[in-house]
Amino acid sequence: MAFIEASAVSKSFGTGPSARHVLHDVTLEVERGEFVSIVGFMGCGKSTLLNIITGLVPADAGEVRLGGDLVRGISQGAAIVFQNYSLLPWFSALENVRLAVAAAFPAWPRGRQADHARRYLEKIGLGSALHRRPSQLSGGMRQRVAIARAFATEPTILFLDEPFGALDALTRANLQQDLAQLCSSAERQVTTIMITNSVEEALLLSDRIVPMTRAPRATLGRPVGVAMARPRTAAQLLHDEDAVRVRTHVVESLTASVHRAPRLPPLIKSEASDASDTPLIAVPDRTEA
Amino acid sequence: MNAKRLLHIVLPLSGIALVGLVWLVASQSVPDLPSPLRTWEESKLYLLKPLEKRGEMDQGIVLLAYYSLVRVSKGFLLGILLGTPLGLLLGMSKTLHRMFDPIIQILRPISPLAWLPLGLVIFRKSEPAALFAIAICSMWPTVINGAAGVRAIPQDYWNVARVLRLSPFRTFTKVVIPATLPYIFTGYRLSLGIAWLVIVASEMLTGTPGVGGFLWQEYNSLIYAHILLATITIGVIGFALDRLMGMAETRLRVT
Repeated sequence: MAFIEASAVSKSFGTGPSARHVLHDVTLEVERGEFVSIVGFMGCGKSTLLNIITGLVPADAGEVRLGGDLVRGISQGAAIVFQNYSLLPWFSALENVRLAVAAAFPAWPRGRQADHARRYLEKIGLGSALHRRPSQLSGGMRQRVAIARAFATEPTILFLDEPFGALDALTRANLQQDLAQLCSSAERQVTTIMITNSVEEALLLSDRIVPMTRAPRATLGRPVGVAMARPRTAAQLLHDEDAVRVRTHVVESLTASVHRAPRLPPLIKSEASDASDTPLIAVPDRTEA
Repeated sequence: MNAKRLLHIVLPLSGIALVGLVWLVASQSVPDLPSPLRTWEESKLYLLKPLEKRGEMDQGIVLLAYYSLVRVSKGFLLGILLGTPLGLLLGMSKTLHRMFDPIIQILRPISPLAWLPLGLVIFRKSEPAALFAIAICSMWPTVINGAAGVRAIPQDYWNVARVLRLSPFRTFTKVVIPATLPYIFTGYRLSLGIAWLVIVASEMLTGTPGVGGFLWQEYNSLIYAHILLATITIGVIGFALDRLMGMAETRLRVT
């Protein structure tokens, strides 16, 4: 049995004729210690799926098991990094992380909790910004604080919900590298599920990539393994044969799902199939199209 | 830049002067209304010897204001002590909100003049009755703002509390309180304004020493200039209180 098992998960929002069937019969298995990315268009229901797996939102049908136990609410040992950072604005970077450490290790004395929090902030390059509040930090630094907060609780399961979605391309690349390093140097084995709309990001970090078809009634496509050694670099991904193969597979299954999707405006359809001729860096955002 | 700053001083002063002019004109046509000058002449004693105590009501203006401020502080503290937890509770529980919102909406518009006799019936003494009226009239903005503040907490912050698995106590002290503090302080500011409105009414009815008691007694003794002295004092102190609370509020908003 896999470590994380989501079986036949469905979710709709609203009722009656206005109901939106977001997820339909989604099944996902993640092995212990695996890094799995779910790649899909914005608005395809990836975040909803992640929220169900984490236990933030209940599913309408189906179930999620974590280490064999049914998920009902956030599990112990799970940490989540949200796209919008979700830091508490009235606390400094250090206090934000320390709050998480205090909740995860309540038995530790205060001094040890603070040291632990400081160590993780320093690890991710924020040693000089410990006492700044989120409003005094750039987007990239805020997300660093959020990542430090997640790792400082020494999680066994890490959920990343488009962690770099709100950042500019350069900051994104830096932070991806740092996250890759942090993941490989973690003291314990961490099982990770990441949601992203960037195939490159998924290639850089994952053991396995699962394409996700569009809502309504989104479901998961055939997963593809990434066998390349780690840590990987963006440059290496451009030419590596394996990377090219995986990229092609993911892009094809994503764009195929576009062709199959009913009630889709023609404009997006043509744009998406144009894009499939050239290697995709990022999947086109439906809202931008 | 300098001319602009000058305007900031000159314009409000002209406004005050204009109102003084209206007062002067009105005092010429209304026989019993003292002119600004006569008001000053007759009130000098109270302003120039502000700490002198000559009788129960016949005291310097600072002493009178002090009695009123002490009474208002007690009533206001009582009001926010009751109102803050009540507001937070109503904000956190939909059931409680549905249960109590209608009765709050009914109690809220009741005038202090209506509460005071009820307070006299319950407590049989004027001082606790006055505090009761101040507390019950002034607590509503705190209750309503506190509840609105809790309801306005972004889902993100609740998610943080859930993801970090904070205890209910930690969630309350580390998330709910800091997130609602600006709202609560706006409530306090409005509450203090109301408390200061109520003080005059309650002192007038109970005849206790203070600015409002003084005002009513001087009306009964036909010394109309002192009514104006008391009125202006009430306005100036109310303004100062609001400014102080406003400063505390802006401090809190900088997060």
